[in-house]
Amino acid sequence: MKVLFVCSGGMSSAIVVKALKAEAKKHGQEMEVHAIGTSEVEQEMEKDWDVCMVAPQIKHRFDQVKVHADEAGIPCGAIPPQAYTPLGGPLLFKTLNELIK
Amino acid sequence: MSKFVDFMENKLSAPMARLSEQRHLLAIRDGVISALPFIIVGSFFLIFAFPPLPQDWAITQWATEHAAEILIPYRMTMFIMSLYIAFGIGYNLAKSYKVDPLSGAQIAVAALLLTLTPTALDELGFVLPMQYLGGHGLFVTIIVSILAVEIFRVCKQKKITIKLPESVPSSVSRSFEALIPVAIVIILMSTITVLMGVNLHHLVDKLVAPLVTAGDSLVGVLVPVFLITFFWSFGIHGVSVVGSIARPLWEVYLVNNSEAVADGASTIPHIAPETFFQWFIWIGGSGATLGLVIAMLLFARSKYMKNLGRATIVPSLFNINEPVIFGAPIVLNPLLIIPFIITPIVTATLAYFATSVGLVTPTYIMPPWTLPAPIGAYLSTGGDWRAVVLVLINITISVIIYMPFLKLYDKKMIAMEQGEE
Repeated sequence: MKVLFVCSGGMSSAIVVKALKAEAKKHGQEMEVHAIGTSEVEQEMEKDWDVCMVAPQIKHRFDQVKVHADEAGIPCGAIPPQAYTPLGGPLLFKTLNELIK
Repeated sequence: MSKFVDFMENKLSAPMARLSEQRHLLAIRDGVISALPFIIVGSFFLIFAFPPLPQDWAITQWATEHAAEILIPYRMTMFIMSLYIAFGIGYNLAKSYKVDPLSGAQIAVAALLLTLTPTALDELGFVLPMQYLGGHGLFVTIIVSILAVEIFRVCKQKKITIKLPESVPSSVSRSFEALIPVAIVIILMSTITVLMGVNLHHLVDKLVAPLVTAGDSLVGVLVPVFLITFFWSFGIHGVSVVGSIARPLWEVYLVNNSEAVADGASTIPHIAPETFFQWFIWIGGSGATLGLVIAMLLFARSKYMKNLGRATIVPSLFNINEPVIFGAPIVLNPLLIIPFIITPIVTATLAYFATSVGLVTPTYIMPPWTLPAPIGAYLSTGGDWRAVVLVLINITISVIIYMPFLKLYDKKMIAMEQGEE
C-alpha cells in the first residue's frame, strides 16, 4: 500500500511515518509511506497513492488538500492529533484502515 | 471551560488561520520560501569572509583582504533576494489562478526591474542599482509582483489576448497570449518610473518605515511569539500562520543586517530577523519545548511521560516538536498550555534585551532551521560564543518554567496508569 502524509514542511510527519510502518509490519503489511509539505500536494496527487492523510497542525488547510485528492480520486482523511506522535502507530493504523474501507 | 475552548477555537483561531490561507498571502509566503535556499547558502559566504577566528591567523587575514571577492556569491543571491522572490510570487500567484505560472513569474520580474533606472557608466556600460533588489526592495517586490500577475490573469480571464489558430503549437500560442498583458505591465511600470520619474522604492520605504520600526521593538517581537504558541495551543501550525504575514518583514531585517556586516558597518541595525526567533526562542520548536522534553527526562515518573521524553528528545534537538505538542499533548491541555505560552515570552524578552544592549551580536546569517540551537545561534551571529551562552541560559529557564507544570501533569498520568492496572 502507498500512503501519502501531508504536513507543513514534510519534516514532522517523517517521524510519524516510522510509527505507521512499524505498526503495519506487526500486522504483516508492507507499507510505502512518504511525507511531503503542503506546497507539493498538487504535484504528488498525479502519482498513484492509495490514500492521503493530513497532519493535524494544518487542519486549516485540510479542505484545500482534499480538493486536490478528490480530483485525483485518492481517499483523503485527517490524522487524529493523538495519533500524531512516535507512539501513535496503533491509532494511526486503525484510522488508515477505516479510511480505505 | 470547554465552551470557552470551543469559542476560542471556532471563533478566533480557526478563522484567523483561514485568513492566512488567502490567495495573495499564500503566494507571498510560498514566494519568499522559494528563495530561502539562496538566502541560506548565500548568507554563509559572510562567515567565510569574516571567519570567527583570531585576527592574527593567516586565514583570517587572507579572508579580510579578499572579502569583496568572497562575498560575490552572497551579492548574487541573498543580497538581491527580491529578484528571486518576485519570480516566486509571480509563479505561485499565477498558479493559484490556474494561468501559465512561468509567464506570471516573468511578468513579475519585469515589473520589479522596471522600478529601477539603469545608469550608463563609461567602462561598464549599463548598471542596475542592486541594493533595491535586496531587503530594501522586498515591499515594492510584493506590490508590483501581485499587480503584474493580477493584470495578466484579468487579461486572460476576460480574453484580452491574441488568439492563434488551434494548429499552432501550444508553447508558441502561450507566449502570444502573454503579449497584451506584458505590454500593459511594461507601459504602466515605465510610465511610473520613467515618465513620472517616481522612485517606488523611496516612496514605499517611507510608507513602511513605521512598520519596520514596530516589528523590531520588544512588542513587535512578543506579539508574534504569543500568537504562534496561541495557534499551536489549538493544534494549528503557528509559525506557518503567523509567518505568512510576518516573514517578509523578518527577511528584510535579515538582509539589512547582512548588508551592514558585508559593508563593514560598526552596528548591525535589527534585533528581530526570523533567525532571532529561530535560535533564541524556538529552541526545540515553538514554545521552547526542548525544555519540556528535558524536564520529562529528568522528572517524569509516569510510564507514558518517560517514554514520550525518550521518543521525542532527538527530534526536539533538531527543532521538530509536533510529536511533543500532539503527544503530551499540549494541544487543548490547559496545564501545559500555560508554560507553553509563558516560556517563550520570558526567553524572548531576555534575548531581546541581551541583543539590544550589545551582549550578543544580532543574527545575520541563516543556517538551516533543523540544526541544534546552540550551533545555529553560533553560526547565525557570525560565530559569537555569547550567543551559545544565551541559548543555554534560555534552555535552563525553559526547563525551570516547565518543571512544576510537568510534575503536576505527571501525577495525573501516574494516577491514570495505576487506575488502568
